[in-house]
Amino acid sequence: MEHEVAWHFPVIWYLYLAGLGAGAVVVAAFAFLGNMKQTSEHYHYSRMARYGAVLGPIPLIVGVSLLIFELGQPSRPLNLYKVINLSPMSIGSWFLLFFIITSIIYAITFMLPAFTGHERLRKTIGNLQHALSLLNIPLGLGVAIYTGVLLGAMPSRPLWNSPILALLFMISALSTGIAAIIITRVVCHRKAADALPDRRLRPHGRRMSSKRPGRRYHETGYLLATTDLILICLELIAIFLFIMFAHLTVGNLKYAIAVILPGGAMADTFWIGVILIGLVLPAIVELYAVFPRLIYNVPFVAHRSVEFLVALAVLIGGFMLRYVIVIAGQITGPMGI
Amino acid sequence: MNLATLSVKFREGLERALRSRRANDQTEQETRPGRRNLIAGAAAGVATIIGTLATSLLKPASAKTENGRKIQYGMVIDIRRCIGCHACTVACKSEFNVALGVNRSWVEYVEKGTYPNVGRSFLPRLCNHCSEPSCVYVCPTNATYKREQDGIVVVDQGLCIGCKYCIQACPYDARFMDPHTGWIEKCDFCIHRVSKGLDPACVNTCVGGARIFGDLGDPESLVSRLIAQNRVTVLRGEMGTFPNVYYIAADHTDEVDGRRPEARNVRVLTHRREAQRR
Repeated sequence: MEHEVAWHFPVIWYLYLAGLGAGAVVVAAFAFLGNMKQTSEHYHYSRMARYGAVLGPIPLIVGVSLLIFELGQPSRPLNLYKVINLSPMSIGSWFLLFFIITSIIYAITFMLPAFTGHERLRKTIGNLQHALSLLNIPLGLGVAIYTGVLLGAMPSRPLWNSPILALLFMISALSTGIAAIIITRVVCHRKAADALPDRRLRPHGRRMSSKRPGRRYHETGYLLATTDLILICLELIAIFLFIMFAHLTVGNLKYAIAVILPGGAMADTFWIGVILIGLVLPAIVELYAVFPRLIYNVPFVAHRSVEFLVALAVLIGGFMLRYVIVIAGQITGPMGI
Repeated sequence: MNLATLSVKFREGLERALRSRRANDQTEQETRPGRRNLIAGAAAGVATIIGTLATSLLKPASAKTENGRKIQYGMVIDIRRCIGCHACTVACKSEFNVALGVNRSWVEYVEKGTYPNVGRSFLPRLCNHCSEPSCVYVCPTNATYKREQDGIVVVDQGLCIGCKYCIQACPYDARFMDPHTGWIEKCDFCIHRVSKGLDPACVNTCVGGARIFGDLGDPESLVSRLIAQNRVTVLRGEMGTFPNVYYIAADHTDEVDGRRPEARNVRVLTHRREAQRR
């Protein structure tokens, strides 16, 4: 391709990692708010919150560091904080600044030892976590959405200049955030009491209480898998609308979207990397896994490697989505001169 | 009362309010030290942020000369007089010592037709110094702005962070990153020459007199008269940028047109590192 591509891998990685980190923290905050009373039957919510909150800031910081290295001089980005204007990048960088701070504090509150002896201290930390959850949801969603608004702000890049792109990036951010939580959980969690394989599972419909302590691990997995499934479906709808309305219009956008439609330069990458690997295959596997629990209330069991591979596919798909959109937007421009 | 005076009044009021707020802070500081002080400080900080935001949003429209019209430098490029010699490209390169592989101004060739019915047209390109510059709207640090005194779009390299957002936003591909400094560069209508009453280097050197420079706000200037008396076009007017570089008899054929079955054989030579128009 002879086109000059001004934004390449550092920016693509940044858009992906910032979305992933923000998505993980937002999911964690929602999960935390879902179990404010700390009841044992909602134990898996707390687990999810913990993984997401601790994990979230890491990709965020890695992504921002990549961006700063891409700019060359580390002192340069400070100019961003001398002004606020209506540029999506300006608003986004302020969002990012506050979100990095709050998400790091949020992560630290989850890493503190459980002050079982200090009732007051524990309560203070709980209140802090509650407040930060409420704060991190809008900030995290702001960071996730701004990565799409950033691209969509310019008529000179017709492929990006679509209101649904920001929505698509937000859904993808939440979805990849959950996938990152699943992977961390699979890699780090299974041990001690929860590690017991579920030998009491019977294939012929004997229902077991999902509140039994040994089932907690799988119930968390069920919660994550269903949420991810819903988000994948929403993402498919958003992509469908994105492509369909671009194709149905005339002019620049129709001309630009041809690059990811069959026959276009990036069609293979898009349809295999994003749609098949990132969305359709994980959706089928997850549907297959959650279906018995969803319909017949049969205890949910997913094999560790299956969970891992599905989450990995979602993560790869999320990256490929950013890659295809960022590159395809830059190799197309307005038609005519 | 028009919007400009309104916004100036608003700004003055805001500044006055801020000043009194700061004075209040100081008196409070003397009387009540401690927590109250912190709150007042935070409030002043928030007020400053809101003030910055408000003033950046409500900029006075533009500076006007004493007879009430605005200076907007612009250019008319008469393609009928262009011989495609690239003298403007070379003059620009030497004027600014532009790095290899990038251009502030360049000349494209448009070739079309099937032998023996063929034609070649030239299209000199430069920054359009748009009235609605999309590069300015996306700049996160206000490093690129449209000068109020003459409408030239410039880059303040002290503020530029090199994020390339403006490169993405420009529909004319007039911006590039200087490979040596890492800052964004673009045509600035030779401010150093224009402010001394000279023509830009490309206009000065143009052998056929195809490039004509002047103040579009002055109805008596040569550019204004040429625009009034000729059929002029602009590039990519549908982008809504209201460019200030006008073309007489420009050929707007693009390679996209070559894909149509009835208009075969279109070739665009950009004479840049980017072999294709974006």
